[in-house]
Amino acid sequence: MLKVTDVGKTYGKFTALENINLEVADGEFLAIMGPSGSGKSTLINILGLLDQSYTGEYLLENKSYKDVNDNQLSQIRGDELGFVFQNFKLLTTYNVYENIEVPLIYSKKEQNKKRQLVADVIDKVGLKGKEKNIPSELSGGQQQRVAIARAIVNRPKLIIADEPTGALDSKTSKEIMDIFTKLNQAGTTIIMVTHDSEVAEYAMRTVYIRDGRLYNDEKSVKNHD
Amino acid sequence: MTDKLMIALKSIGKNKNRNFLTMLGIIIGIASVICILAIGDGFTHTMIKGMGNHNMRNKVIIQWEPTSDYNTDGGFTQNDASALAGIPGVDHVKLTSSVAEAGAKAQYKTKNFSIGLNKQPKHLKLVKGTYFTMTGASNGVYISEDLAHKLFKENAINRLISIDGTIYEVQGIYHIGSMEYRPDAYVAKTTFKQLFANQIIKDQAKIYVNDGASKKQIGKAAVKRMKQMGEEKKTGKYSVSNPDQISKQFTRILNDVTYFIAFIAGISLLIAGIGVMNVMYITVSERRKEIGIRRAFGATSSDIRNQFLIESVVLCVIGGIIGMILGYILVSIINAFLPFKAVITPYAIILSLSVSTAVGLIFGFIPSNKAAKSELVGLLKEE
Ligand SMILES: Nc1ncnc2c1ncn2[C@@H]1O[C@H](COP(=O)(O)OP(=O)(O)OP(=O)(O)O)[C@@H](O)[C@H]1O
Ligand SMILES: [Mg+2]
Repeated sequence: MLKVTDVGKTYGKFTALENINLEVADGEFLAIMGPSGSGKSTLINILGLLDQSYTGEYLLENKSYKDVNDNQLSQIRGDELGFVFQNFKLLTTYNVYENIEVPLIYSKKEQNKKRQLVADVIDKVGLKGKEKNIPSELSGGQQQRVAIARAIVNRPKLIIADEPTGALDSKTSKEIMDIFTKLNQAGTTIIMVTHDSEVAEYAMRTVYIRDGRLYNDEKSVKNHD
Repeated sequence: MTDKLMIALKSIGKNKNRNFLTMLGIIIGIASVICILAIGDGFTHTMIKGMGNHNMRNKVIIQWEPTSDYNTDGGFTQNDASALAGIPGVDHVKLTSSVAEAGAKAQYKTKNFSIGLNKQPKHLKLVKGTYFTMTGASNGVYISEDLAHKLFKENAINRLISIDGTIYEVQGIYHIGSMEYRPDAYVAKTTFKQLFANQIIKDQAKIYVNDGASKKQIGKAAVKRMKQMGEEKKTGKYSVSNPDQISKQFTRILNDVTYFIAFIAGISLLIAGIGVMNVMYITVSERRKEIGIRRAFGATSSDIRNQFLIESVVLCVIGGIIGMILGYILVSIINAFLPFKAVITPYAIILSLSVSTAVGLIFGFIPSNKAAKSELVGLLKEE
């Protein structure tokens, strides 16, 4: 699915990422763990083509997007990728249906097809009957379901989730992770950042970030210390 | 496109008060534009219709005016008419008079007055006597109440007066209303023709032009020709009679009013534009999170720019439509005070919508561009 070679990122003098090497296979479910400020979000923003200013090489499906224009990037983001964020990032004045529809507005599909896709994912994340509610009328878990539905409505190959359970209690986190597991079993590749080792358990593999460096297991992180 | 409009309407609806205040400038501006155009169009419309009544479409009138107040004899002669008819593009020429009555001296005993007189009309309401169509031989005359009083004090009927030396018998007396114009005396048609008609000078030449000929050029050529060879060129001046003469003054006032309203419209639209720009800046910075979300889910930077541009245009067009409604109401009020009817033409509506759209596009562009160019990662950090 993707390959990262020697990727680095600096903010002025501050090095946020250094020497990152990572490969993720199709159909994998990867968790990225690390303390706050270690560079997790910075890394997955690069992986999600949200941030283009980095050094090194990043190939998504064997293709570098370093020099493609904004339109092509947007298209890839809309068609191939799906994002889930810690604080849901829903449009507060739009209802559930409209929030989920957002990625479809920018894709060239016919209206009926779009409606069908939204109905499908609403069903999938268990939000039937909530289509007309706005986010403030939903629980945190329900809001995150909306966010997941939005992320998967366009049937992306890769889901990138930045602390998807960060704002949820453990019971709700478990429900969300069940949805992720099902999606992964259906073939979607998932890369998920989390603080929570219990949540990371759901992934097939976990990598660790400390001070902008990536480690393949917890032991090596400790050795490094 | 409809979904894009819905997005725009939705976010405008979210801040009704703020957006309404922003629209005020547009509303006033567009209402002014509507008023200007309605007055202007109404005026032109009336002018054209007026010309139609006088059959001005294919005719030019050349006027002769005496240079001296004492000798008013002159005008156009038959030779002049032929000369004018020879101008290329002229179909035929008709000589007429701008005054409808002849001047004469009426005398009774020692009293004598200058009077205006004409041939008798078909119908005339009398206060004394009976009205009938007189023959030339009968030498009858109908006189106004006023003249009767001046000449005879009372009992004017069947008395004899002298008009320019000929004796006439008073057959009846008529009243001239204050809003009415009539000469002081009427004589029989044949009498008038024989004795007085030659007195009425032909001071107007109506030149009928062929289709497609330029009235303006023919008018000029006609005046030029008359200045060279007009038979009464020594005693008078020739000019193209301008039927809008009376309205000239009015046009000037109207223009001043128009410029004033246009000035108000321009200022309002400028202020409105700045307001729109301001409110769009606020909107864009308030909605950084939304922009980030849309960008992450496939919106290109031009999608974002268009979204805000559409919003800015929709805001202005709504303002424009309210402005048009206000303009319509104002025009109805103005119409009560105007001597003609101000009209709102489709052109005015199209222009108003175009102006609103232009304001939205021009003043929405910079904020929309800012939205489109924002860095994505930064946007997604917004809450
Ligand atoms: N725009 C920026 N300018 C300067 N420094 C930044 C910027 N964004 C992030 N950083 C720094 O980069 C480092 C990594 O940030 P990042 O957001 O990736 O951390 P994180 O691992 O996601 O932390 P958290 O778990 O708290 O979300 C932090 O030290 C942060 O201060
Ligand atoms: Mg983070």
